[in-house]
Amino acid sequence: MKIEELNRESEMLYSGHNACPGCGAALAVRYLTRALGPDLAIVLTASCWSIISGMPPLTALKCPILHCPFPSAGSVGSGVKRGLVAKGKPDTTVVVLAGDGGTFDIGLQALSGAAQRNEDYIFVCYDNEAYMNTGMQTSSATPFGARTATAPYPLFKAGQKKDIMQIMAAHSIPYAATATVAFPEDMEEKLKKAKKISGFRFIHILSPCPPGWGTESADTIQISRLAVNTGFFPLYEIRDGVSWEMTLKPDRSRIPLKEYLGAQRRFKQMDDRRIEILQEEVDHDWECLMEKVNTAD
Amino acid sequence: MLPEVTKDPVCYSCGTEPSSANKTGEWRFLTPEKDIRLSPCRQGCLLDGEIPAWLEAVKNGRWEEAWQIMSRYNPFPALTGYVCFHPCTENCNRGQLDQEIEIHAVERAIGEWRLENYKRVDRPKEVKGQAAVVGSGPAGLSCAYYLNQGGYEVTVFEREKVIGGMFALGIPEYRLPRKVLKKELSVLEEEGIRFVSGCHVGQDVSLSGLYEDYDTVFLAPGAWKPRKAGIPGEESGGVWNALDFLSLLNKGHQPEIADPVVVIGGGNAALDSARSALRMSNVNHVKLIYRRSRTEMPANQAEVEAAEHEGVELIFNALPRKIEEEGKIKEITFDFCKTNLKGLVVDQSRSFEEKCGTVIMALGQEIDPSIFGEPVKDSLFYAGGDFTSGPATVPDAIRAGRIAAMTIIARDAGLPEPDLMLPDLEPVAFEELNLEAKINLSLQQSQAKPDEEAGRCLGCGTCNSCGICYIFCPDMAVEKVDNRYQLNMDYCKGCGICVKECPARAMVMEGGME
Repeated sequence: MKIEELNRESEMLYSGHNACPGCGAALAVRYLTRALGPDLAIVLTASCWSIISGMPPLTALKCPILHCPFPSAGSVGSGVKRGLVAKGKPDTTVVVLAGDGGTFDIGLQALSGAAQRNEDYIFVCYDNEAYMNTGMQTSSATPFGARTATAPYPLFKAGQKKDIMQIMAAHSIPYAATATVAFPEDMEEKLKKAKKISGFRFIHILSPCPPGWGTESADTIQISRLAVNTGFFPLYEIRDGVSWEMTLKPDRSRIPLKEYLGAQRRFKQMDDRRIEILQEEVDHDWECLMEKVNTAD
Repeated sequence: MLPEVTKDPVCYSCGTEPSSANKTGEWRFLTPEKDIRLSPCRQGCLLDGEIPAWLEAVKNGRWEEAWQIMSRYNPFPALTGYVCFHPCTENCNRGQLDQEIEIHAVERAIGEWRLENYKRVDRPKEVKGQAAVVGSGPAGLSCAYYLNQGGYEVTVFEREKVIGGMFALGIPEYRLPRKVLKKELSVLEEEGIRFVSGCHVGQDVSLSGLYEDYDTVFLAPGAWKPRKAGIPGEESGGVWNALDFLSLLNKGHQPEIADPVVVIGGGNAALDSARSALRMSNVNHVKLIYRRSRTEMPANQAEVEAAEHEGVELIFNALPRKIEEEGKIKEITFDFCKTNLKGLVVDQSRSFEEKCGTVIMALGQEIDPSIFGEPVKDSLFYAGGDFTSGPATVPDAIRAGRIAAMTIIARDAGLPEPDLMLPDLEPVAFEELNLEAKINLSLQQSQAKPDEEAGRCLGCGTCNSCGICYIFCPDMAVEKVDNRYQLNMDYCKGCGICVKECPARAMVMEGGME
């Protein structure tokens, strides 16, 4: 990515979309369409992006978008790709775009089926860690300790966040990777890599949500960066479900998680004991990840 | 067997019109704006130059624009690129990351580009007045340049046969190649400045005559009167004054110098004399003797180190008492001397003798108020350079020339006297910069190519079009126009990511809609 060479023409996203100020998902889709376009078809399940993309006749993207029912993203993607192949357009990249609800919860069975059949498309989950579009209800992607509309203050999400990457790795798909908006170069590299691979590819993008997370809209990038630098959301890729590799070299002295949590109002009921629990969880996950990365070496 | 599809089905359900019809800028309640803050290099610059701005222009290959920005404060970057001691680089924030930007190298490159690509542009014929400039040194040339640009017909009077003053006679060839100076002067001549050399104002023409013949007179004769030590033997043969020695050398003569050489003094003229003497074929040993300690030397430290590296022997805390002649050999008696709170303390019991063939006295220069043989008129008094400040540096003199020219132009246009001082602001500190994004941040060490070196500039309060705001805008409200980034207020929702992420801290958030 050379910034000097980028301009409005090289982007697939139009201005004037309906995302909130400082939206991480808008940025994520901007990066991903730029990296994968222009020959691109997007299958969009119910999510924030259903709204962001605009009401007909307006559209926020320069490529076709097919809206589909909530649980069906995985199977609609399979159909669109096969249809394009049948029509003699095998080179068009098909991207299924789903939020964390459409991936972790409601869309999981179709996703699992498509992954198991190794359908030839890229499944992108932009993860804002709750059902933000409908009013911030808890999803299985919501981290421990966060308050949501269904777990209002002083309650909080009690369970841990579902490890979707392990689930996808267990399907032995050719390529799976994590990415976030603070590292656009890393994200672009992964998407371009994914584009060259055929078979089922899965990209998990952490996209901060200022109203849902209780952050200032200006802090989106900073929060996303903190998520990586604290080890809360490590950046890595998995090939064939077995070969794990860190893409952003981990810093040995990770920033304490407290800094990441303290910057978000959704964690304001976290006392030191709960922060300790989450920190231990993150440390444990980090060690497990390091182990997998090291065995893969 | 799948059925053959003959015609693309047409579907409009996801929309066909760009969402940019939606002016989402209406949502905004805070507005980001470009800001310019003082950079540490500019604070250090003796000429107040807009350094980050011209570095940005060079980075993007816009040399003409770099010259335009440069010449607002410095009309002679080719010359200052050689002779200025670049306090800008000493202040550079990048030094805290890896290595300072070699600002003077880029400055010199801009100057050389301009001299190579110079083309005379015809300006409107209307002449605003006749101006006489006395002295063709840095201050005189600078004032002449700006007056000429401002529409004056300028005549420069020079006492010596060569034009350039301190540039030509004071600064040794190894610090300023004469061909650069020649080229610079020929450009000034082509611009329409008239040079009269060998004309001593006060002897060949009178100052009051100049005031009658010209609308404006600017005096910059410099400070060439050598300061004396007031010790016995100072006036004897074989004792040189530093500026006489340097100007003879610079005129192409070979001053009579006998080995070994002792230079007395600690300023830049002393260093120039010592290094020039060492370059002469019959000189093998040069000692530089200064009355105070090394850290108290007024000379530029890089020059001191260079001299030492070349083989000049440095002796400190020694004050000359007398110079005696024994045939061709001179014997100087020095007393031990040091500074304390009361001033210079001399200890005559700890003295030593130094035998040498030549003594060069570099004790500094003084202003000669009687140089014109008549007092200058107060009401029309415009003067600058060493003549008003006492011995100072080339950029100080260029700045004085510019300020005088701007003041004259404003006066003749009937405008109030312009305020040409930089506001006293706190420059952008290294800690304020946001270097976390690391995109488009050149991680290279010092580069030989000027555009690559300029690309290392972090901006420090000036937009250097790094593009971080463009990359991180979720609304595509940052647009690239003519290789510059601009905010499109039709779509800016005012999230503030650009302000927060700007590496150079060149943006601010303003309250409310504009």
